[in-house]
Amino acid sequence: MTDRNNVNRRAFLKRVGTVGAGAMAASRIHRPGEASAQDATVRPDPAAKRGGTLRYGVLSAAAHFDVHQSGTVANIGPQSPMYDTLIRRSPRDGQTIIPDLAQRWEIAPDGKKYTFHLRKGVKFHDGADLTADDVKATYDRICRPPKGVVIPRTPLFATVGDIVAVDPYTVEFRMTEARPKAYMLGAFASGWNIIVRKKTLDDNQGNLRQVMSYPGTGPFKHVSRQDKEVWIQERNPNYWNKPLPNVDRLEIYHLPAFSPELGSSFLSGKIDYARLLDPVSWRRAKEMPGVTAGVFNQSVIQAFWTNMAKNKALADPRVRRAIHLAMDRPALIDVVKDTAPMQIGGFVYPFHEMSTPRAELEKKLGYQKDIKPAVQEARRLMKEAGYPNGLKNLDFVVRDVATFKLWAVAIQAMLKEHLNIECNLRVVQVSVWFDEAAAGNFDLAISAIVSSLMDPSDIFSAWYGKDGPQNYSRWTNAPFHDLASQIERELDDNKRRPMVRKAEEMLEADPPLIPIAYEQIYDAWYNKVHGQNPSTYFGIYDVVRWDQVWLT
Amino acid sequence: MRKYLARRAIYAAVTLLGVSLSIFAILRVLPGDPLVAILGVEGHAQMKPADRERIMADLGFSDPLPIQYVHWLGDIAAGQLGKSFFRGDTVGELIRHRGPISAEIGVLALIVSWLVGLPVGILSAFKPNSMPDGIARALSVTFIAIPGFWLGMLIVLALLFWFGYKTPIVIVHFWDNPWQNLQIVVGPAVVLGLAQGAYIARMSRSCMLEVIGEDFVRTARAKGLREWLVVMRHALPNALLPVITISGVLLGFVLGGSVAVEQAFGVPGLGRALVTAVIERDIIVVQNLVLLYAVIFVGVNVLVDLSYAWLDPRIRYS
Repeated sequence: MTDRNNVNRRAFLKRVGTVGAGAMAASRIHRPGEASAQDATVRPDPAAKRGGTLRYGVLSAAAHFDVHQSGTVANIGPQSPMYDTLIRRSPRDGQTIIPDLAQRWEIAPDGKKYTFHLRKGVKFHDGADLTADDVKATYDRICRPPKGVVIPRTPLFATVGDIVAVDPYTVEFRMTEARPKAYMLGAFASGWNIIVRKKTLDDNQGNLRQVMSYPGTGPFKHVSRQDKEVWIQERNPNYWNKPLPNVDRLEIYHLPAFSPELGSSFLSGKIDYARLLDPVSWRRAKEMPGVTAGVFNQSVIQAFWTNMAKNKALADPRVRRAIHLAMDRPALIDVVKDTAPMQIGGFVYPFHEMSTPRAELEKKLGYQKDIKPAVQEARRLMKEAGYPNGLKNLDFVVRDVATFKLWAVAIQAMLKEHLNIECNLRVVQVSVWFDEAAAGNFDLAISAIVSSLMDPSDIFSAWYGKDGPQNYSRWTNAPFHDLASQIERELDDNKRRPMVRKAEEMLEADPPLIPIAYEQIYDAWYNKVHGQNPSTYFGIYDVVRWDQVWLT
Repeated sequence: MRKYLARRAIYAAVTLLGVSLSIFAILRVLPGDPLVAILGVEGHAQMKPADRERIMADLGFSDPLPIQYVHWLGDIAAGQLGKSFFRGDTVGELIRHRGPISAEIGVLALIVSWLVGLPVGILSAFKPNSMPDGIARALSVTFIAIPGFWLGMLIVLALLFWFGYKTPIVIVHFWDNPWQNLQIVVGPAVVLGLAQGAYIARMSRSCMLEVIGEDFVRTARAKGLREWLVVMRHALPNALLPVITISGVLLGFVLGGSVAVEQAFGVPGLGRALVTAVIERDIIVVQNLVLLYAVIFVGVNVLVDLSYAWLDPRIRYS
């Protein structure tokens, strides 16, 4: 099982993508005038059985109930089974985009209009019919949130101009500027963008943070919820995609990520499926008979930022490059191997088809197993920048999370040993970390950030953009920003690929942050759970509905 | 007696007012933005000043601090204890649901501490410097020294790896399913109880040693009373007073210790709710739970004071 899980995205795309990409593109990314030749909507496995209760353990104590406003699995874990999206990622591979509430869609040749044709007869859990007005209201809110409502996915739809309900079952998104199809369809298929009723939004002044159970169209309906304990849902008998869902009842237990509670609940058989297991429990689960343990990529980079606005030395690209090269990444991954699973990567997701392939990356300075050449180069750069004796008294702000605390000590030692950079660690609670990062009260600051899409354009704007919300280093690099803008506008993937590689080179030479590792996710499930294998999924936010899962 | 009670009530009210003011002030000067937990990292990073203003106003945090404090006192008077500013649940609901589990753990811990501590203390006192006394003293020091959360984690791991056992993961109240409920509360109660029992054993040993040297005990023995009657009827009641006093103080340790021990055992009680609320900067939940703990602590200590007169008729409240 784990060997299969080690198939990375690139290998997966090579195998599946090359064989079927043409056919898939033709059938699933529709062109004007084309009707859906083949409905790729999720269908049940031929062997699937109906009934049973799935006991699922995942972080699910959300700070509020508004999925659109959230960025955490604590919302999407327990709430997504109650909702649908316009289009979705196939639960078979977590990659292919397939119909959901939109039975088919068309994209104008110039990429400036997306038309979605909705299914008829879809009902919300309160009995109301789904219409284009609901989709329009949902996306109006996502694209242009009202005051006091903050939606992390809003930037993905920055080029959406008008949203028009052409008729009760057709919605048009008119773009002010075209974006790559994969980028836009990925945005529409994001698990965060659930469709809610216009009336629900109107009744609550557009803010659902404190509305626990608002009607969706999804395969499961709310039954009861006990805060920080369990959310119980039952099969929606009127689900539009009959005969799904397969299971009668979902019990979603609040079990924090990487926690002993999650591990012990799974190992003792109290839950059937565990998401975000700690490595120790996961390894134990892997050895258990009747259990499958899976690993897949997460949409998170673990990094530390160098405050260029506060510290003159850190404003010098050579110093940042030297710090980047001084990191012994294989050792850093080893340091946290019992706390969280990680993999080496650079400035773009290492498993993205356009990023530097892993084999090539591991030959580069800063990523090699033998770090001597990288350290030599780092020392040379420090000398050239005028800091041959290193730096003193850097304020290193550490988020109070086990992995960051372990890494901070290791990084402190590496910086001292390799570059004679001395830093003082300051461990702070999460909300303080973000206060300090936003206010620029740090020299170095370690944390993790997430993206909605794997597409480089998303991270180039959110992580490295001049005014990017997570550009904590206050980094600017005019040639890079120009190139990122071109990449965002380029619709031809063949032309985008070399541009992304060029952008990577620019980031290597002038790092906006120091990448440490890319997170992975450990799941495990008893073999009585069928129809779910996340090994090729990207992140935990898109394929989260459990409609195709069945039990024996 | 009435005057004494009135005076104690006034002292208790002043203490609680002090606690409420302290916790209110501390939570508002602590660094850290609660909106990080509400909006998440990405949302927080995108938040505009106007959004912040609106959200803080919705949460009632844009009012001047004295007004916020008065609103809180009003919520307490109404029995609602305010709302968690995340999900909108009232703290009253939280206490009603989780309180019984934590209360069970606290009461059971006190019972365990007395059941273990008192006999061990008496035994040690009547056979001072013997091997049983040495063992009892060594164990007392051990249980005082061992952190409850660590012992809790060891127990959880041992049960899991040796027996594949894990306690129920959601709250089961005693009146719904006593067996499952006991599985949840027994572990934390024993861990907390053993630590407090160690203090009680040491205290009761020293008190008993003092009492058994008194003339009235010698007289009782001289009368030919059996040893257990000497202990139970004459020595113990006179040695109990300091033990009861320390039990009131130890309740504070039980309340404080339950926060970490509930976390270690994964028990979804009030202690765990407090930890989560602190991490989330859920100010309303934290201030109400801290105040609740203060009310319990003050209340129990008043009861302890009142019990002196019952245990020792020589004591008069005047």
